[in-house]
Amino acid sequence: MRRNILGKGLVCLIAAGLLFPLQIIAQDLSAREIMEELEDNRRATSNSALSRMQLSTCKFGVREGKITCAERPRVKSLESVGKGYGTDLRDTRSVAILLEPAAERGIGMLSFIYDDGARDNETWLYLSALGRVKRIASGSSDDETEPGSLFGSEFTTEDQDTGKLDEYEINLLEETVEAGREVWKIETIPNEERARKSRYSRTVLYVDKERFVELRIEMYDQYGKEIKRMLGSRVEQMNGIWVARSTTIMNLVTNRLSNMAFLEMHTGIDVPDEFLTQRTLTDAAFRETELEKLRAQIN
Amino acid sequence: MEKFLLSLSDAFGQAPYRVLKFKNFVLAGLIVMTAVMVYGIYTRTTLDMTTDSFLDDTDPAALALDDFREQFGSDESIFLVYRAKDGNVFSRESLEAAQQLTDDLRNWQSLDRSEYPESINGIPLVWDELSHIRRVQSIANLRYQESVEDSLLSNRLVPSALPEENAELGQIRGKALSLDDYLLAFYSEDAEYGAILIQTDFGTKPVEGFVSAVDAANVSLDDSFASFGDADSFDLEFSEDVEVQEIEFEAVDMLGYTSFHVMSKAIYEKYETQFEFFPVGTPPLMEFMLEMLSEMQVLGMILILIFTLLLWILFRSFSAVLWPLVTILLSIVWAWGIPAWTGVVLTTMISLTIMLIFAVGIADCVHVMSAYFSFRREGEEHYVALSHAYRKTGLAILVTTITTMCGVMALTTSDLAMIQVFGWTSAVGVFLAFFFTIVLLPILLDLWHPGDPDADASFADKLGKRWHRLQRNTKTAIAVVYFVAVFAILGLAIGAYIAVVTILTYVVVNWQKPILGRVPAITARHPYLIMAIFGAIFVSCLYGMSKIRIDSNMAELTREDSIIQRAYNVVDENMAGSQSMEIVINTNAVDGMMNPRLLQAVDELQGRIEARYPNEISRTNSLANIVKETNKVMNDDDPAYDRIPDSELMVSQLLYLFNSSNPEDRRALVSDDYSKSHITISAYNAGSYQYQAFFTEMEQEIEETFAGLDAEFPELQVTVTGSMAMMMRMADDLARSQYASLLLALGIISVIMIITLGSLQGGLLAMIPNLIPAVLSFGLMGLLGLPLDADTLLIAPIIIGIAVDDTIHFMTHYRIDLARTGSISQALISTIRDVGQAVMFTTMVIALSFALLSFSGHLGMAKMGFFGSIAIFFALLCDLFLIPAMIITFKPTFGVKNANTEIDFSKAVQA
Repeated sequence: MRRNILGKGLVCLIAAGLLFPLQIIAQDLSAREIMEELEDNRRATSNSALSRMQLSTCKFGVREGKITCAERPRVKSLESVGKGYGTDLRDTRSVAILLEPAAERGIGMLSFIYDDGARDNETWLYLSALGRVKRIASGSSDDETEPGSLFGSEFTTEDQDTGKLDEYEINLLEETVEAGREVWKIETIPNEERARKSRYSRTVLYVDKERFVELRIEMYDQYGKEIKRMLGSRVEQMNGIWVARSTTIMNLVTNRLSNMAFLEMHTGIDVPDEFLTQRTLTDAAFRETELEKLRAQIN
Repeated sequence: MEKFLLSLSDAFGQAPYRVLKFKNFVLAGLIVMTAVMVYGIYTRTTLDMTTDSFLDDTDPAALALDDFREQFGSDESIFLVYRAKDGNVFSRESLEAAQQLTDDLRNWQSLDRSEYPESINGIPLVWDELSHIRRVQSIANLRYQESVEDSLLSNRLVPSALPEENAELGQIRGKALSLDDYLLAFYSEDAEYGAILIQTDFGTKPVEGFVSAVDAANVSLDDSFASFGDADSFDLEFSEDVEVQEIEFEAVDMLGYTSFHVMSKAIYEKYETQFEFFPVGTPPLMEFMLEMLSEMQVLGMILILIFTLLLWILFRSFSAVLWPLVTILLSIVWAWGIPAWTGVVLTTMISLTIMLIFAVGIADCVHVMSAYFSFRREGEEHYVALSHAYRKTGLAILVTTITTMCGVMALTTSDLAMIQVFGWTSAVGVFLAFFFTIVLLPILLDLWHPGDPDADASFADKLGKRWHRLQRNTKTAIAVVYFVAVFAILGLAIGAYIAVVTILTYVVVNWQKPILGRVPAITARHPYLIMAIFGAIFVSCLYGMSKIRIDSNMAELTREDSIIQRAYNVVDENMAGSQSMEIVINTNAVDGMMNPRLLQAVDELQGRIEARYPNEISRTNSLANIVKETNKVMNDDDPAYDRIPDSELMVSQLLYLFNSSNPEDRRALVSDDYSKSHITISAYNAGSYQYQAFFTEMEQEIEETFAGLDAEFPELQVTVTGSMAMMMRMADDLARSQYASLLLALGIISVIMIITLGSLQGGLLAMIPNLIPAVLSFGLMGLLGLPLDADTLLIAPIIIGIAVDDTIHFMTHYRIDLARTGSISQALISTIRDVGQAVMFTTMVIALSFALLSFSGHLGMAKMGFFGSIAIFFALLCDLFLIPAMIITFKPTFGVKNANTEIDFSKAVQA
């Protein structure tokens, strides 16, 4: 029941009131339940939501204890619209359109993410220069394909995937402090079948106990070496949902990082089903008209 | 000069007495120091067995390779070619086996280890080695892009669940053979051969204990990661001064590669019922090289055995065998211990140093022992004989030590650290062999020395006497049985070798005196004929040398029936070739690789190279191929779109698509900022000579193709690199510099000879017999059309140094005798008599030992063993015939005043 409330994003309305009891409940949550809460919260950011994001990618180094870009970041900005579907709205459909840079303007991606591990995620890509849309064979459905990169950044489709918790062994490692916040340290280990589809043999998450937001995620390869690290910063409520407005993923092998910053995020938007189809990708006029309508809802 | 030489000889004659005076002190000191050296060897030796130690890391191509690896990952892989035993890699059984094997290699962690052996060929299996596997590609998991209606499909060539119908398998085969990108890379045109590409992280794995900079204490994201301005502004701070952490990569040594390949072999050998395997690539090659090294150890042991046996038969005394061995062993221990203590990094070349010390030590000791025995047989007692022996041979040993040291020190001019170290340690080792021969050998002989040759006969003597008492028929019968047994047990090659050893030993032991006795008369009778014969040989060898081809070819280093050779041949004949190299393109401009004109140039270059070298190159691959292929697929497979589009926007979006679907492939092909990329060239195996020419020509092609882009890309850099190509190039450079330093060494030796012999005329005369053995081995190789490779050239100075040693002994001895007797005839006779025996013995021992190397599986080693022993034997002929003939003809007096130049051996013998 609690999941439902969170899932529908209504929690935002009563979050402040629930905070205290939630923490009490939290003490008794199993690792699996924590992960479910976390995922619900994650989905909430894309359910009936309109966001504007900025993706920055650069080579990084450390100067005076600070992780800093060592070159001018390549910046891409995009607009994304999403909506929950299915049981408990656990499936997500979303469309994202690139606004910048000019060479990639109009490139769009439509994706259907399913909670059920047995069902393949689906992705369509629209290349504006060719004027063609192509369905891309899904990365997660097949053991051999590597997960695709998200708009050419260090984020992969796997990093954005939700659900399929049944395919993981989830352990609560400890309760500790990360970035000054109390967190659960949880590891998820894919089962054999999932492991074949995944780049990661183990993932360790530091989940804010109060806000159900990951503050840090460590991804390990099949040899137990940490290859990527994700850090959540600027955790704040946007439309009532706790969200890390700035998420940074560091590729520890190549010393490159990508940051995804939510410039705007609006939830509770009424998104027509028609918008989450290929027409939005190919039909620029339709897209603009519909987007205008969605933006109007914000105001 | 001659006074100086004589007093030097006398000083050597006094040396045993002086050393023996402080016997206990010297012995104790040596024992302590040797213990220290042994301790140093065990605790302080730094042995670098990495292949990188062969490379000069300041070479631009080597730097480009480092850069390449950092950017695009390791280029080291096993290319595992297999032949389907049913003749069709697309048959159900073959596909199932390929699928299973691919899965085993990818998911080795879930394999049941109890089903695998503990070790292969005595090398224990280390499962963790498989963590070097970065990627496995085979028929089982290849994908091809296909545009079906609205979908861009990345289909498996072979579905995980194989189709029921054989007709469908036939369709898969048909489809596969139509895919140009995979044909020859993963299956042969007749589908009999398939291949699994096992990519590794060798050379790109961070060193043990590497800590990422982000893991340091109190590291956090820069504040700009959390600072949002108004809704539209979020800018990450950046500074080009920020240092991106340099990752230090683990160096890989032969053992690492071997261990990895052996482990992989354990996995794939399970499928031998279905497939026959032909692995190529650095890991299998290194395994082979390591096998060669252990084979060398075995050959080394046999070598010592033969050497011991020969010494024993020749000197017929155990102490004459034991003490030289101890002396040589000590020289080796010290020559290894000193660099170990001084922190010098040694390489596998230390084995060559050991070989050199061994040979030089034998020569030193045999000369002393031989002289010692002849004095004992003349009736001198032990101490007198010892002193006389040192007086007689000391100077010559000193000169040979100096010349050999100069020879190996010529190598220290090399640019490569490993060659420099080899030069220095060998020089030290050669000196130590001399030092111990002078200081230690007399003490050891004092502890236990051969008895009176007439009074107490040794075991060998008794054996010899018993043999001579036998009837001729019995002797013949025993000999026949012996030779039949040798050939029956050891086979034709080794049998022939042992037979030659036996016959030569028999001849030398029984008839050395009569042979040596006849030499002066023969030379006196036909000096011109002898000189003409040697002159003809010398000239033809010079001609042969001018024909010699310096060429290192990986596959030709091994015998034709070796695993490596067969694998290379199969891959070259049926697949895309066993070699690869890279052309790295650095535009030095962000997004430079998205420029259509640049990509068109890359495409053009590939076309030009493929057209120009159809016999050397099988295929090329680059970002241009990806762009063309994606363009075609996105346009419904219309062949008209199989080209680089003219619009940068279009290229950018096609690459966007590629990056979105295959980020890792993209990263292996083009850098993250699209400024750098590379063309991979698959080539058939070739020698370094061909590669070198290829490199030069390729640079011209590159120049021409990219000429028009100067304005757009002023900082464009295009470099040819790749580890195999690099190795080839280095091998060629190495061989050339070795060849040059060898010639330099010969020059230096000649100068030393001129100085020692005290006359230009004598020095020049001595140079001719010195040069003949050196020229002979190279000349013969040139005449026979055998290429001279880097490995052969590494041992060449050793063998030539030894061949030259005997000549120096001969000339030095002659010079001293001439000064002493004032008569050419007398000096010549006594030299042939005294040095002749020692020269015969050292030649026997060293040449026959080195001839053993001819059996090595490493052809570089075998070639030098064979031609080297021929050179050493030839040096003996020069010493016994050519030198006397020249002396008789030219009557050099070496500055000895009033020397009697009359040639009359009958008088001389009486005198």
